[in-house]
Amino acid sequence: MSEASLAPVRARHPYLLLLPTALVLGVFFIYPVAVALYRSFFAWDLLTDPQFVGTAHYSRLLAQGAVAGLVSRTLAYSLVVVLGAGSLGLLLAVLLNRPGRLYAFVRGSIFSAYIVSWVAVALLWLWILDPDAGVLSRAATGLGLGRIDWLGDPDLALYSLAGVSVWKITGYAMVIFLAGLQDIPKSVLEAAALDGATAWRRFWHVTWPLLRPTTVFVGTTSLIMSFQAFDIVRVMTQGGPIESTTVFVYAIYEQVFMNLRVGRASALTMVFFVFLLVLTAFQLWLWRRFSGRRTMGGS
Amino acid sequence: MLTRRTLSGLIAGALGAAAVGGCNRKRLPPGHISLWFSYGGRNRKVLLELVKQFHREQHAVRVVPTFQGDYFEGLTKLRTGLYVEQAPTVTHVIGEALPYLAEAQVLEPLEDIGSEVIDDLVPALSQAGTFVGGGDRPLVGLPFNRSTPVAYYNKSIFRQLGLRPPKTWAELRSAARSACLRDSERTTRFGFSCPVDWWFWVAMVGQAGGEVVAPNGEVTLGDQAGVRALRLWQTMVHDERSMKPPPGRDYNAWEAANNDFLAGRVAMIWTSTAFLRYLEDNAPFAVGTAPLPSQQRAAVPTGGTFFVVPKGARPEERTAAMTFLRWMMAPAQANAWATRTGYMTVSKRGRAKLAQDGFFAQHPNDRVTVDQLKHARPWPWATQLLRIQREAVQPRLEAAVLARRDAATVLDEARKSLEGV
Amino acid sequence: MRRSWWRVGGKGLLFAAALVWLAPYLWMVSTSFKTLPEIVAAPAYPLPSSLQWGAYEEVFSTIAVGRYLLNTLVMATAIATLQIALALPAGYALAKLRFCGRRAAFLSVLACLIIPAQVTFVPVFTMLGPLGLIDTMAALVLPFAVSAFGTFLVRQAMLAIPDEIIEAARLDGASEFTIVYRVLAPIVQPTLAALFLFSFVFHYSDYFWPLMMTTSDDVRTMPLAVALLREQGTGVRWHIVMAGNVVLSLPILALFAVTQRRIMQAVTARALS
Repeated sequence: MSEASLAPVRARHPYLLLLPTALVLGVFFIYPVAVALYRSFFAWDLLTDPQFVGTAHYSRLLAQGAVAGLVSRTLAYSLVVVLGAGSLGLLLAVLLNRPGRLYAFVRGSIFSAYIVSWVAVALLWLWILDPDAGVLSRAATGLGLGRIDWLGDPDLALYSLAGVSVWKITGYAMVIFLAGLQDIPKSVLEAAALDGATAWRRFWHVTWPLLRPTTVFVGTTSLIMSFQAFDIVRVMTQGGPIESTTVFVYAIYEQVFMNLRVGRASALTMVFFVFLLVLTAFQLWLWRRFSGRRTMGGS
Repeated sequence: MLTRRTLSGLIAGALGAAAVGGCNRKRLPPGHISLWFSYGGRNRKVLLELVKQFHREQHAVRVVPTFQGDYFEGLTKLRTGLYVEQAPTVTHVIGEALPYLAEAQVLEPLEDIGSEVIDDLVPALSQAGTFVGGGDRPLVGLPFNRSTPVAYYNKSIFRQLGLRPPKTWAELRSAARSACLRDSERTTRFGFSCPVDWWFWVAMVGQAGGEVVAPNGEVTLGDQAGVRALRLWQTMVHDERSMKPPPGRDYNAWEAANNDFLAGRVAMIWTSTAFLRYLEDNAPFAVGTAPLPSQQRAAVPTGGTFFVVPKGARPEERTAAMTFLRWMMAPAQANAWATRTGYMTVSKRGRAKLAQDGFFAQHPNDRVTVDQLKHARPWPWATQLLRIQREAVQPRLEAAVLARRDAATVLDEARKSLEGV
Repeated sequence: MRRSWWRVGGKGLLFAAALVWLAPYLWMVSTSFKTLPEIVAAPAYPLPSSLQWGAYEEVFSTIAVGRYLLNTLVMATAIATLQIALALPAGYALAKLRFCGRRAAFLSVLACLIIPAQVTFVPVFTMLGPLGLIDTMAALVLPFAVSAFGTFLVRQAMLAIPDEIIEAARLDGASEFTIVYRVLAPIVQPTLAALFLFSFVFHYSDYFWPLMMTTSDDVRTMPLAVALLREQGTGVRWHIVMAGNVVLSLPILALFAVTQRRIMQAVTARALS
């Protein structure tokens, strides 16, 4: 973290400036999490009186290996989404970083997927990925790949969902990378070109290092988006087949909505929270290592 | 892009909208009742038409129907609504959730709707005989969109192959095998398909002579009958490759089964009677229905929802709710709902009227569904029923059928998972 | 010679990319003009036999599109605006001012980045219920009046602003309020544009929160209305669902198309610096 450099005019100013934010976040985010922590020690269905169960929910979650499964599925999904959308976004940004109507059109069409709602995208791809009637499956059969059950095969479903998410947020990554590319002074690249560096070397030795903060930013934000994946699971697979697409947020939803278990859902929430904190700590460490003194996204 | 003035204007507007919205919190005016429902599509349309008709026929009661998401979202909203004492006057819930709500004592008894209505309900579709352990329980649910599973077959394929709708499990297997079409590497048409869903598994448990919950309240999951039911699916999916487990979970699987049937990719499916109109109207071939086959005996469960009146309504709202429900349960409305949607009429007199008007003669498929009702088995309404379904059984059926885990082990695990918390 | 090959290859790649992103939309539109029997018979055929408007008639007779759309726009605009308005002072304090507890405050904001609505809705519902706020615009807007993400973005942007600008403004007698909204806001405008876009897009298409917080149709939004078109279990009437998708997506795509130039300019003009 960089140093805040100014002394406030009045000592109370910083607190006043932060007050609305603290209020809203406190009331609508931190307080509910505190409530969840409290309820995670009870068995409760919203209707009958809560029963204190101690840490039974937690030991159950850990004993059944449920947490390990959730963590590995959530991570696998996120990894594909972050790497897929990030690398595609970067590639497209480099290719499209030039003036002209054609380029603007292609940029616009790619970014539009980010604009359209998750539910609409999920429904659309549910139809495209239908193993018998879907366009993509028909194409696969036509190419002699056999019948691919994109969403029905437990080994494949999670990656099909991740693929759809990549399609959805690549436009986002691309736009951020475009922003990063515009920041690179032309003179630096021109100097490299004069030195006789090839396009690839210019990219690798000049552009890519300068894009690092942007990359970190894209990575972090798309990671957050991928952790919150919900609509796509709810519409396309409902967590199946055989739990293979039950990621954290959907598991929490399932406990509250289908199993009527608010207490267990709360315990799951706390585990999710710890998981995210560990991951965030890991990321902070990564930023420090790879962006040196520069704070992420800062210039 | 944002000037200061537009920004401050927008903020003022936003706060204003929030404030006005906040003060504007309305209780329904006198004579109005709220009705929460969970339908989209055609079912929603028919319901709204009925409400409109109700308003034309009388002026004392106004019903305000509102969509509340799918069944589970609706159920959660009902629970949160009850928690903050803002529950609707009337809503409908799936049968499996009813014993749980009854046990939590959040439902108003409905006896004062009158014996004229209660005695006219088709017993197989109503609350009669459902609570495990029996005893005198207050009436808390009035049947509304009710259905059973039924077999649909593609008449042209069956005729072409000289097949008859199967009457036993053995016949089901042989018919399914005969109706398959295979080329060198893959099956292009399956003989049979059915969502790998708890509902159909319960049907087979009944057919194999078992009960999901014993009369003494013990959760047996059908014991050996449960295992046999699961093994039938496993055999048909893996050994005989004659059954296609539709992809997706819950409603996605049901939709997939219907689509496969309509497209001729499967010759026969089990699904809800509720889809009869839809399948008949959209199939490019003649659709036949048949009762589900039997093993030890013929058996089908019932499905769909019941109207309930959550506690917390003021007396006059309750009375208004009764007026509305009495009207909805009357033969004319019960029939209107049934014939337009494909669900089954819940009124005995209504059913007699349909027979008399020649409806069943014109719609032989509907006749099959009604005849099958005599084999309908009442649900074991145990408090835990919804969790037995959602938590213990449903997710494991999928594992057993798709990944072929041992049926007995899987059901043992399911039983164990219900112990403890 | 080599150069032109590169160029052809690059163009081809771009063409393929555009196709990958546009084809699904074309597919959506094409399906919406088909009839159900047509879809069942030849699901993969790219074009409808003729333009059938039936699905759209169904959509418009089911949904009061104008009303729902207005609700959606009011809600998403209010949220995005409030987020900007409140992120500015918070971002300024976190980026520029020395005070006790600054680090803790910043970390708390970061922690809020990742809490999903599926976790918070029960406590929030039980809190707003007794206040009579359920089923009001307030229940849709207030919980999102602050975006942890937005606060974080604005803070990052403010870090890059030289202190001298603020010191100079102070010497001119500007209040902190003036500094935040009149001096700094214009400088970080690209970030604000980006924040507005992200926030608007997210809340325009949010299904879960409006569903849970509303009990009547008064303040409901478009994604909820589109859900009405789906009859669960029956067999998807894809033409109607796709028509609903088109109706849901068109307004925001049109909005984007009209403002695309400015958005892209704003966002790419050092949005994240």
